[in-house]
Amino acid sequence: MGDDTGQPAGVGASSASSASSAPSKAGGAGGAGGAARAGGGLARWFGRHGALGPGLALAVLCVVLAVISPDFRKPENPLNILNQNAFVGLVAVGMTFVIIAGGIDLSVGSMVALLGGLSVYASNAAASSWGLGPWASVGVGSVVAVAGGAVAGSLNGALVVWGRVAPFIATLGTLAIFRSVIMTMADGGEIRSGVPAYAEVGAGTHGIPLPITSSRGSALFLTYPSVAFLVCAALGQAVLSYSVFGRRVLSVGDNATAARYAGVKVGRVTFAVYALAGLLCGVAAFLLSSRMASVASASAGKLYELDAIAAVVIGGTAMRGGRGSVAGTVVGVLMLGVITNALNLLGAPALLQDFFKGVIIIAAVLAQRAKA
Amino acid sequence: MNRAWMASLVSCVALAAGAVVAMGVALSGSGCEKPSGGTAGSGAGGEKAAGKRYKIGVSVPAADHGWTAGVGWWAKRAMELNPHVEWVYATATGPSDQIGDLDDMLTKGIDGLVILATESAPLTPAAKKVKSQGVFIVNVDRGFVEPGIADVFLEGDNKAFGRTSARFVADRMRKEGRTNLVILTGIPSTVDTDRVTAGREVFAQYPEIRILDQQPAMWNRQRGLEVMQNLLTKHEKIDAVWAQDDDIMMGAIQAVKEAGREKEMWMVGGAGMKEAVKMVMDRDPMVPANITYPPSMIAAGIQMAAGLVSSGRPGEVLRYMPKHLMIDVELITPENAKDYYFPESVY
Repeated sequence: MGDDTGQPAGVGASSASSASSAPSKAGGAGGAGGAARAGGGLARWFGRHGALGPGLALAVLCVVLAVISPDFRKPENPLNILNQNAFVGLVAVGMTFVIIAGGIDLSVGSMVALLGGLSVYASNAAASSWGLGPWASVGVGSVVAVAGGAVAGSLNGALVVWGRVAPFIATLGTLAIFRSVIMTMADGGEIRSGVPAYAEVGAGTHGIPLPITSSRGSALFLTYPSVAFLVCAALGQAVLSYSVFGRRVLSVGDNATAARYAGVKVGRVTFAVYALAGLLCGVAAFLLSSRMASVASASAGKLYELDAIAAVVIGGTAMRGGRGSVAGTVVGVLMLGVITNALNLLGAPALLQDFFKGVIIIAAVLAQRAKA
Repeated sequence: MNRAWMASLVSCVALAAGAVVAMGVALSGSGCEKPSGGTAGSGAGGEKAAGKRYKIGVSVPAADHGWTAGVGWWAKRAMELNPHVEWVYATATGPSDQIGDLDDMLTKGIDGLVILATESAPLTPAAKKVKSQGVFIVNVDRGFVEPGIADVFLEGDNKAFGRTSARFVADRMRKEGRTNLVILTGIPSTVDTDRVTAGREVFAQYPEIRILDQQPAMWNRQRGLEVMQNLLTKHEKIDAVWAQDDDIMMGAIQAVKEAGREKEMWMVGGAGMKEAVKMVMDRDPMVPANITYPPSMIAAGIQMAAGLVSSGRPGEVLRYMPKHLMIDVELITPENAKDYYFPESVY
């Protein structure tokens, strides 16, 4: 999918400030005054990655909301936002790589439903039929989800690279196929976990204990889905910025022909980004099915592809590829999450939610173009 | 290039094969259909009976949430129980899809039609066309906007659904001295509006009840969880939750439990999802009651159509069949819950 943008592929090499996961503290009362210098470094880093505008916008949005809504300031609220959006966030990290490489993956939402369902089926079977212990069964489920994700993503990659089907079409096809398979397996209904331990991984009451308490005095956790999102995002940014693979992804998206002349195996890189996206869908699927202790075959992951693409675009990644950052995508995910959360808290007509989403997506693209 | 095409072809075939195997495992031999509106026979194998075998179309919405999945499940059961009819089954993702399904069914030469409309207005002219071809129509749940099209209309009463569950919630709140109510609504649609409007009319008669918030949770467990989580942050004290569906309620319960506030409130959902009924049956303090809106009503409609043709003279039978049957909603309490508990159903 190389179109000639004629831009140099020089985004990769980045310098010192390794704060790739730092933007993820949404909202929150403190933190504004303290680290001005670090903030400056962060701003420069974001600026280099086309994510400065969105990052600032998110910060302003959070400050404004914190001022007008006492509920938004409650310590549990940013953690809720992070947790609620961790699943689509994981998907969006993978989507960032696909889009930077000049592709698109529309199948991610269906893939989440399919993999989550398979994971629940596998762990149920492991516990009931194979007689494994609860945690071993959970392990089986997670492996099935992640490995299945790599397989499903590879299928997308194979269709795009060796089948030479346009990514939009190939993944539109697998979008329908994945959803159809899992709905048929579940008769359109829910697939429920029969292993109590399965639900503990994603539960809101488990995770890394935090030294703060909620407004009502109960303990707060950085939930495992949140941890997974932050860790995968940090790793993703590191891979994109500092690894050879990351630089190849950028160069393939920027100008595939030039990359090929430069000795990059364009097909392999493209295949790998789809496989990576599938793998991250697997992580998201396992955690989401654990969070819900079930998978609703018809609605799980529905429209995640749109939210993920929106987050990537809001985060300053170019739709035509070649430029972008995972950090920006994290900002995009949190931006969408903060809006949904704020509309709930402010009691705004919640059906207007998509209106704000739409405005922000368009604004982000216009801002991109203004800069280009 | 040819090679490349072969590669993609092979991977497609592999995937399709995988899907077929998966279906085989999951459905263990019963008729399987693509949710996107394809048609497939069901019930007894392909053998055609010597005499006249009636052909009846069954057109229902595709499973997009728990209740519609239940509709599909019950429809299949009812068709299997009536192998003397040749069934033409189709699920539609929306009105235009469903209109197409009706056209296909006419092409196949159906004698009768059982239909649960995705939306009333757009399906009315299509059903009229079906009727004009001499096909009898059993209409389930959602009616047409013109009279005289359905031969039998088996109506689900959404207003009563809202009214009855709201009455229960309001009475119980008054008895327990509770005032703070949260309402979680479904997918914006005529069904949801009917329920919520009727419910709010009831709540309006209880001036002490304060509706803290009303938010859509899309008949969806995950949305129920997330919206409730946000509302728990916002409101210091919530006494009761009136949820417009059991999927929503299950998500909301999870949010409340995670916040450690399950002693603070109880909730009433609706439609008789098996887990929800089980909780009522087990006297879970968070779920004092539920309300029926059984997806099995489609099976009742199918049974009726099968009965019409088993006489061999459906036209004659229709002369004494009632034109309009309203399915009452019933309150599920711990005392009667076992009558509404179907552990084998998908919903």
